Amino acid sequence: MTKKRERLQVIRDILDSIRKTRNIKPTRLLYSSNLSPQMFKEYVNELISKGFMKIDIDKKDKKTFSLTPKGFEFLQEYKAIENLIENFGL
Amino acid sequence: MVYEWLAANKEILKIFFGLIIGIICTAIVLRTHRLFKLSSHQGIRYFRNAFLFYGIGFLVRYILGAFLFFNLINPAYRAIITGLFEYFLIMAGFFLLYSLIWKNIEGESTKYSSSLINPKISLFYIMALILVILDCFWGGLSFMLLSQVVLFAVATIISYMNYSEGKKQFKFRKFYFVAMLLNFLAWLSNTLVVFFFKGNQNMIINIYFLNLIIFFLFLYGVIKVTGLK
Repeated sequence: MTKKRERLQVIRDILDSIRKTRNIKPTRLLYSSNLSPQMFKEYVNELISKGFMKIDIDKKDKKTFSLTPKGFEFLQEYKAIENLIENFGL
Repeated sequence: MVYEWLAANKEILKIFFGLIIGIICTAIVLRTHRLFKLSSHQGIRYFRNAFLFYGIGFLVRYILGAFLFFNLINPAYRAIITGLFEYFLIMAGFFLLYSLIWKNIEGESTKYSSSLINPKISLFYIMALILVILDCFWGGLSFMLLSQVVLFAVATIISYMNYSEGKKQFKFRKFYFVAMLLNFLAWLSNTLVVFFFKGNQNMIINIYFLNLIIFFLFLYGVIKVTGLK
């Protein structure tokens, strides 16, 4: 049985999926995040409210997600955060 | 010869140590605060708070101690400065231990908006205050020293358990265990000097250096595992 993903890993996975595609549709992000729709919604709302990602709406009223500078910063620092937590047992 | 010189200039040495440790703590707080702001991880938050309190404690000692040394403030304030220093040190110890056990105490759903003022942390403030008051009445540092010996004994056991669990996966856990063990030994030596060696100057100076090494170890650890930014 695979280990349950930690909250920070889920956030990293979501933001990484957005980074790889630059702009990603909500349904595609839901599939790639491997979360239930309810959990996905909670994470996305949290990440938007904290300024890690944003919603872009095009002329045809289609929604896509993209990363903010803070989102990029999180991905850059993710390894440092993970190392600190794991190695110091925090 | 060196010990004699250091003992004769103990007050300057204290100020010097206070300044260096204050600078080390500032560097640790700045780095961990940035990582906490990105991750909202409570363990990082409490770890940062520990060094925030150590930093404040040592800087209070450095700045006010220097004022005292150069007779810029009334020597009667020495007791207040010692009390403040003691209070911040006890709080820092509590935060450092709490950073290791918070997961077992706070549920995933518990999200306090402040890590400095919340119901659980207010218990630490009260306990620290009680210890400082007891030391004030008894005259000395006995209660603080004993509390820190117990606290770091527990922290050492926890960090050893963490190390045993993930020694292959997380090699740096050994380093953290050693840092905690040294911290415990420093507090134990401090206590022994006060209770049994009647303030042996050479031992006190050795403990100052041991403390300095411990803070450098923490700084090295933070830089090593998070990278220098």
